[in-house]
Amino acid sequence: MAQFRLEGTKVLAVTLGGGSDAVKAKNGAMVAYDGQMAFKKMTGGGEGLRGMVTRRLTGEQMAVMEVKGQGTCYFADRASDISLVRLNGEKLHVEASNLLCTDAGLRTGTTFTGLRGASQGNGLFTTTVEGAGEAALMSDGPAVLLRVTHGMPLQVDPGAYIAHQGNLRQTFQSGVTFRTFMGEGSGESFQIRFEGDGLVYVQPSERNTVGGDV
Amino acid sequence: MPFREVSAKLVEAQVAPGARLFSQRGAMVAYTGEVSFTPNIQGGQGGLRSMIGRRVANEATPLMTVEGRGTVLFGHGGHHVQVINLDGDTLCVEADRLLAFDGTLEQGTLFLGRDGGLMGMVRGQVSGQGLFTTTLMGKGAAAVMAHGGVIQLPITPQSPVHVDPQAYVAHFGDVRNKLSTALGWREMVGRGSGEGFQLELSGSGAVFVQASEEKL
Repeated sequence: MAQFRLEGTKVLAVTLGGGSDAVKAKNGAMVAYDGQMAFKKMTGGGEGLRGMVTRRLTGEQMAVMEVKGQGTCYFADRASDISLVRLNGEKLHVEASNLLCTDAGLRTGTTFTGLRGASQGNGLFTTTVEGAGEAALMSDGPAVLLRVTHGMPLQVDPGAYIAHQGNLRQTFQSGVTFRTFMGEGSGESFQIRFEGDGLVYVQPSERNTVGGDV
Repeated sequence: MPFREVSAKLVEAQVAPGARLFSQRGAMVAYTGEVSFTPNIQGGQGGLRSMIGRRVANEATPLMTVEGRGTVLFGHGGHHVQVINLDGDTLCVEADRLLAFDGTLEQGTLFLGRDGGLMGMVRGQVSGQGLFTTTLMGKGAAAVMAHGGVIQLPITPQSPVHVDPQAYVAHFGDVRNKLSTALGWREMVGRGSGEGFQLELSGSGAVFVQASEEKL
């Protein structure tokens, strides 16, 4: 089993024990390693032909490489902050662009998110990670973990959303008024609303989104 | 030691008569006391010969001499700053990553072709270092800039370290480096893993790696 560890807040260290130990990581994210490592690009995200076609069609393409070997491998990407998520059979929804590295034992796939995605500028689909093992998420600035419980729904700016897990229902809400059309919008016209029971990861920065301009 | 990290992006330096510093021109953000900043036409220490050497090697970053008595704060471009203390070792670093360094350190230029011949020159090109790099030798401290945080990885004879050339910042100690390639047919058909070139550092010392693959 690959061991994930954070070296500071911006570098992920993964210790691999050799044999069948492997991780999937964003293409080109390795910054250093010791021991023996082999890097191999996984065509279409490593989910077979069907997964590859789905990713192409949904625009959730990830350039992923498989890292195998023995030693410690260090990953980082454009000085993004990294958070570790430990999964024990749950499902994690994450933006493909925010996924840095996953244990090879985790399954990745794509799901439909509806209108939310379009306002985020990330398309209509999101990536899911499922199984037992660890995953590393990237965020622009340190991510905050917000808890959603029954009766306490959470609204998130689509540009700041990174990932969520748990039993959550998401709806898209807009506060577009006549002011928005006059060009006097507050820039907060669209939100994603999470209801149910689970966790949402938010970054202290906003991607450029369609929703952010109005 | 004259340098103290105030935050991840600022360092504070003490200057006193007889203990001068060199810093990148324009990198001072604040100071207290009586401190003078003199542009250094020669781009560092040594005489005319060193100056010409640096010009030819394109390692001539505009430097200034900081003298007087007081405390100076240095920072540049919002980059992370790492203070590296040297105890008689030689530090190899790109001139444009060097924020400030002790006047006690001896500055020099190293031709990369010397360490590995033609492959050394290729290595310099791939890692964006060019054909030359700056060396600092002696006892003292240097403040080095990097994009994102820096981690220090030890290099021992038993375990060489491989580094992505774009994430490489600096190294010190008795270290040999060579460019290792892992180019296969995948790279040729444009399906590479993005890790085709690596710097292999072996010997004993340490290497500094930044959390980003962007140059300064």
